[in-house]
Amino acid sequence: MNLLDIRNLSIELVSGNKPILAVDRVSLCMKEGEVRGLVGESGSGKSLLAQAIVGVLDDKWQVDADRFHWRGTDLLRLSLEERKAIISKDVAMIFQEPMACLDPTTTIGEQLEEAVDSRQLSGYFWQKRQQRKAAAIKLLHKVGIKHHEFCIRSYPHQLTEALCQRVMIAIALATRPVLLIADEPTAAMESSNQGQIFRLLASLNQLKNMSILLISHDLENVTHWTNTITVMYSGQFVEAGTTEQIFNHPFHPYTRALVDSSPKANMLLPAKSRLMTLPGSIPILQHLPIGCRLGPRCPRAQQACVQAPKVKNHHGHQVSCHYSLKDTY
Amino acid sequence: MPSLLQVTDVSKSYKLKGYWYNRRVFTALEPLSFELKAYKTLAIVGEIGSGKSTLAKLLVGAETPNTGTIKLNGQTLEPKNFKQRCQHIRMIFQDSGTTLNPSLTIHQLLDEPLKLNTELNEAARSQLIRMTLQKVGLLSDHMNFYPHMFSGGQKQRISLARAIILQPQVIILDEALASLDPSLRSQMINLLLDLQQQMGLAFILISHNLGIVRHFSDEMMVLCGGKVVEYGPTHQIMQKPKHKYTQKLLMSQHFQLCRK
Repeated sequence: MNLLDIRNLSIELVSGNKPILAVDRVSLCMKEGEVRGLVGESGSGKSLLAQAIVGVLDDKWQVDADRFHWRGTDLLRLSLEERKAIISKDVAMIFQEPMACLDPTTTIGEQLEEAVDSRQLSGYFWQKRQQRKAAAIKLLHKVGIKHHEFCIRSYPHQLTEALCQRVMIAIALATRPVLLIADEPTAAMESSNQGQIFRLLASLNQLKNMSILLISHDLENVTHWTNTITVMYSGQFVEAGTTEQIFNHPFHPYTRALVDSSPKANMLLPAKSRLMTLPGSIPILQHLPIGCRLGPRCPRAQQACVQAPKVKNHHGHQVSCHYSLKDTY
Repeated sequence: MPSLLQVTDVSKSYKLKGYWYNRRVFTALEPLSFELKAYKTLAIVGEIGSGKSTLAKLLVGAETPNTGTIKLNGQTLEPKNFKQRCQHIRMIFQDSGTTLNPSLTIHQLLDEPLKLNTELNEAARSQLIRMTLQKVGLLSDHMNFYPHMFSGGQKQRISLARAIILQPQVIILDEALASLDPSLRSQMINLLLDLQQQMGLAFILISHNLGIVRHFSDEMMVLCGGKVVEYGPTHQIMQKPKHKYTQKLLMSQHFQLCRK
């Protein structure tokens, strides 16, 4: 059974006279124990999608979906409290901008202890305080913070961005979630430390069967760690498939451009040669093109592209394009 | 071809606060030397605290080196002589959004270095600004816009325009490509390579992304804790890294996986 099954999710920004469709009918499906990458450039609505799953969007965003199932129960039909109970038990999220997301008025230690689930603690009530403290320290060790005494005593502003990010990850792992949504979990870190965090997430995925939705703006950073990848552009669904499918035979012109433009991916590319690019820049939310939003930048765009394409499925490799590159392989 | 930029035994250390019996010195950069020719790119790779930003600051003149000399075309660059230096060595910063003054139009932004460094009259300056904007792929109409009207990629192009407007010989890119989205980043790389061919620029690229380093640079220097760990042609280092630290760096970015 699918862990998370979302069909045609739309998120609208209700403001002023005309609502803006920030996310336009995106589907996302996650199996248990899967690591899925969600890739898109800035403004592609990937963080919005993650926030919609966790349900932390405020009133000005309107979420609609044909199907929004978590382990077979429709989340959109539940009341807010029931939904919150399910989500807080099973889903955890690592937010972007760790400095802004941690509480500036309490110490790291208190925040971590608060996050530790009391169901994990075994013992009498007078032992629980000690156990909670031990659990918090264990979590810090897990994410690679050796000097826990210093970290537990300090406030978020006293730590570096990279340390805050590790604390965020520790808080997310405290509840032992079934699904972890990691929104650019290693943005502030260096490449060698990034590897450490990704290895931790991969081992949790293997040992505890935790599913991970890994959100990133760069395709090349996540490919090593993911089984499947969903690509988004400017709020629209572009392509989904296994990592090999996306990387070796991209069907959508946009994914093709992303793969071709990455110098890391093409080792055969001669140094200092011109990289393949799409002309123009990413459209802003106020001036979105109609139909397929890649239209003005797409090398294969034709007249039909003023209507948004339907998603086509080729053996689990979904693509949303009128003129997909499938026949060229 | 004679070398354009010659750096010999440059080092930098900072005095830390303390009493006379507790005085400590923090060495940010141990003595290092390199040469750079026109049309070539040197990449500097290393972790935070490895001294790569210190090196950039020394070259551009924001800090004075403790020892060593920096020569450009055989001529020594004096510390504190900004008039001479800023014409020839320019820098592009990581975050283009915050390095452009939000209260000035693009015309005023690009006019400032010209006013301070050249004797051109107003019409000639405007003409030069127009030409430079076209060179980096913007329209001359963009002159009257303010920075907030541009997207991230366009802002980075404006900082590039500000760097090349004085016809420099060396441009330092301090993580200038890191904050861009992938599709804009490859546009920017193409633009930089074209400009290098047209104007004979030498680049010093400071970057985390080894894919870009491999594609973009001719030589690379690996710094670790202020010391030069490895220095040589890029393809040689990428294929056969000798030092353990370089090997670790290459492994951490999974250079082997993508060769499917």
